[in-house]
Amino acid sequence: MTNANKKREKKGISRREFIKTTATLGAAAAVGSIGFPNVLRGATPQDIVVGHIHPLSGFLGFDGQELKKGVMLAAKKINDAGGIKSLDGAKLKLIDADSEGKPALAIPAVERLHRAGAVAILGCYQSSVTLVASQIAEKLRVPFVVSVAVADKVTGRGFKYTFRTQPRAEQMASQTVNYIKKITEASGVTVKTIAYLHDNTAFGTSLSEHVVKYAPEYGMEVITRVAYSPRAADVSTEVGKIKAAGADVIMDTGYFGDGVRVLRMMREMRVKAKGIIGCGNGAFSHPKFVGELGSMTEYIMDGNYRANPVSPLTEKAFSQYKKTYGTEMGPSTVFAYQSMLVLADAIERAKSTDRDAICKALSETDMTQHILPQGPIIFGPDGQNKNAQAAMMQVLKGKVQVVWPKQYSEADFVFPHPS
Amino acid sequence: MIISFIFQSLLNGILVGGVYSLMAMGLTLIFGVMKVVNFAHGSLIMLGMYVAYWSVALLHVDPYVSILIVFPVLFIIGASFQKFLINPIINAPEHNQLLLTLGVSLFMENLAVFLWSPDYRVMKTSYAEINFYIGDITISLARLLAFCFAMLLAAILYVVLTRTDLGKAIRAASEEPRGALLMGINIKRIYLISFGIGAACAGVGGAAITPFFPVYPYVGWLFVITCFVVVVLGGMGNILGAFVGGLIIGLADSVGAMLLPGSMKSIISFTIFILILLFKPTGLFGREHA
Repeated sequence: MTNANKKREKKGISRREFIKTTATLGAAAAVGSIGFPNVLRGATPQDIVVGHIHPLSGFLGFDGQELKKGVMLAAKKINDAGGIKSLDGAKLKLIDADSEGKPALAIPAVERLHRAGAVAILGCYQSSVTLVASQIAEKLRVPFVVSVAVADKVTGRGFKYTFRTQPRAEQMASQTVNYIKKITEASGVTVKTIAYLHDNTAFGTSLSEHVVKYAPEYGMEVITRVAYSPRAADVSTEVGKIKAAGADVIMDTGYFGDGVRVLRMMREMRVKAKGIIGCGNGAFSHPKFVGELGSMTEYIMDGNYRANPVSPLTEKAFSQYKKTYGTEMGPSTVFAYQSMLVLADAIERAKSTDRDAICKALSETDMTQHILPQGPIIFGPDGQNKNAQAAMMQVLKGKVQVVWPKQYSEADFVFPHPS
Repeated sequence: MIISFIFQSLLNGILVGGVYSLMAMGLTLIFGVMKVVNFAHGSLIMLGMYVAYWSVALLHVDPYVSILIVFPVLFIIGASFQKFLINPIINAPEHNQLLLTLGVSLFMENLAVFLWSPDYRVMKTSYAEINFYIGDITISLARLLAFCFAMLLAAILYVVLTRTDLGKAIRAASEEPRGALLMGINIKRIYLISFGIGAACAGVGGAAITPFFPVYPYVGWLFVITCFVVVVLGGMGNILGAFVGGLIIGLADSVGAMLLPGSMKSIISFTIFILILLFKPTGLFGREHA
C-alpha cells in the first residue's frame, strides 16, 4: 500500500487526495458521458480496480458505511500482505459507488464502475438494489460478488457472473427450523406449533413462507402468520393476534426499528411462549438491540448469519477492525469483509485481471480459511455458496452468543425460556 | 381469550388514537388559521421526540417532565419557522407553500441524520416496564400516560380557543382575517402564536410516546399521513373534528388489524376517509361553506 493510501486510512481523505480523486472521477465521468471509451481509468495501470456499491448516504447510510469499512479492511489486509502475488504484487484499489438505498441508482453505478475498469463489483446490502445491480453486471459481463442480500432470486436467475457467500432466504429459514428442532430435542421439550409475526415486505414474507414450507419436515406447524407494515406506528393488535394463537414458539422477522416495537409490545402484553425466536431478524441478534432494550431481550433467540465465533481468524479480523475503526464489526460487515477476500482469492488464482478469467476462478472457489461458521466456501452452478450456514444466537447475560450448531457455539442455550 | 383480545385491541386503539388527536389538532390549527398545509408536521413530531429523548438522556429529567421542555422549545421553533419561512410566502399559491414545508421537512430530517446519525434510540425509563393487568388485558402505564397528557393538552387548547381573548382572536383570524384585522387584531402575531402552538402540539405528541417508541430521524412519517387523514376526516381546520377524528382512526386501525390480514389493516380507516371525501367533503364537523 502506498503512503498516500495509508494516510487516508488513518485520517480520512487528505485535501490533495480529495482533489486528485474528485478530478479523476470528474474527468472520467465527463469523458465517459461524451462517449470516449476508457481513456481514463481512475487508477495507475498496475492497480487492480474493484468497485463496490452500497447505500453510503440516505436512509441506510449508517449500514452502508459499515459495509464499506468491511470491504476496505479486507482490501487492506491483502495489500499489506503483498497484494495479488500472481500479478507481481499488484494492489487492490477500491472505487465507491453510492446507491443511496435506491434500486434505480444501481444502474448508473454499475455502468460507471464498468467504465472505470473495475474487474469485479461488490454489493449491495439490499436485495432490491442487488437484483438490479447484478442484472446490469451480468449484461456487461462484470463479475458480481454479493456482500449482503438475502433474497433467493439474487442467485436464482441463472446468472453466470453473480456469486454470493451469505446464506440465502431458503437456507436461512430451513436451517433455523432445523436448529429449533435440534434444540428442542436436546432440551426434552416438545414444540409442535409456531406463530409467525413478520413485516409485510419481501424480507419477512419470503422467510416466513420458507418456514411454513419446512416446518412440517421437522414435525412442526405454523398455525398463525401475521404480517404488519413496518410503516405502521402501532403493532399492538398484531401482537395480540399472536398472543391469542397460543403457539408453543413465536417466530419473528423484521427490521431493527419495528423489532424494537414488537418485542416491547410482547413484553407489555405478557405474551408467553416456550421461545421467542427470530429468523434473519434485523434486531434480535444485533448488539445494539440488547444495549437499547436491556433485560427484556434476555433469552431471545435468532437464526441468522454470523461470523464463526470460535475461529482464530475471526478474532484477528475483529481486533483488526476494532483497531482501525474503533467500533465492533457487525454481522453484515463480516460478509462484506469475507466477500472481498473471496474475490481477492479468485483474482489470485485467475492470475489475470480479465473479467471472464476472474469469473471462472470464482466459480472454482474452494476456500477453507475463512471466518464463517461453515465448511469450505464453494459456489454451486447458480453462484450460491453451497455450504452457507446460519447460526442460532441467543441473548445470554446481555450478550448475543452463538448457541447452535454445537461446533461453533460460544455458550449453552437456555430452552424453554424462563418466564 | 377472544373477548379479552377484542377489548385489548379496542383499548390500544383508543390510547394511540388520543395521541393522533393531539398531533392532528396541531396540524388542523395551522391549516385553519393560515391555510397552510404543513408537510413539516412529521419533522416537528420527530424534533419533539428528540428533545424529550435528549432531556432524559443528558439532563436526567423525568420523561414526563421533559414535556415542559418540549412545549416551549417546539413553540419557539414553530414560531420562528412561521416568521422567517411561512410569513414571506403566506399569500403565495398553495403549491408553493406545500413545496416549502416539504423542503423544510427534508432539511430537518437530514439535519437530524447529520447531528444524531440515523441510529434508532430507545429512551431508558422505568415507566415503560410498568403494566397493569385486568384479567388478560394489559394496560401499559406509558401508553396510558401518553393518552392522558394528549387529552390534557387537547382540553387546555380547547378551553384557550373558546374561552380566552387570545382564542377568540385566533378563531377570528381563522374565519375572517380581513375583518379581524379591521377589529384591531394583530394578525401577524396571531399567525406566529398559532404556528407555535401547532408545532408544540406535534412536539408534545411525539414526546408523550417517546418512553415506548424508538426515536430516529424519519420517525415522523409514521404519523404524518395518519394526521392528514384525521384532519380531513374531522374537517380541515376544525379542532373538535381533529380530536374526534384521531380517536376514530385509532379505533378503526385496531379493528382493521383484528379483522383483516396484517398488511390490510389500514383499509378500514382509508375507506372511512374516502367515504367522507365522497359524501361529506367538508369533514365530519366541517361547515358547509368551509
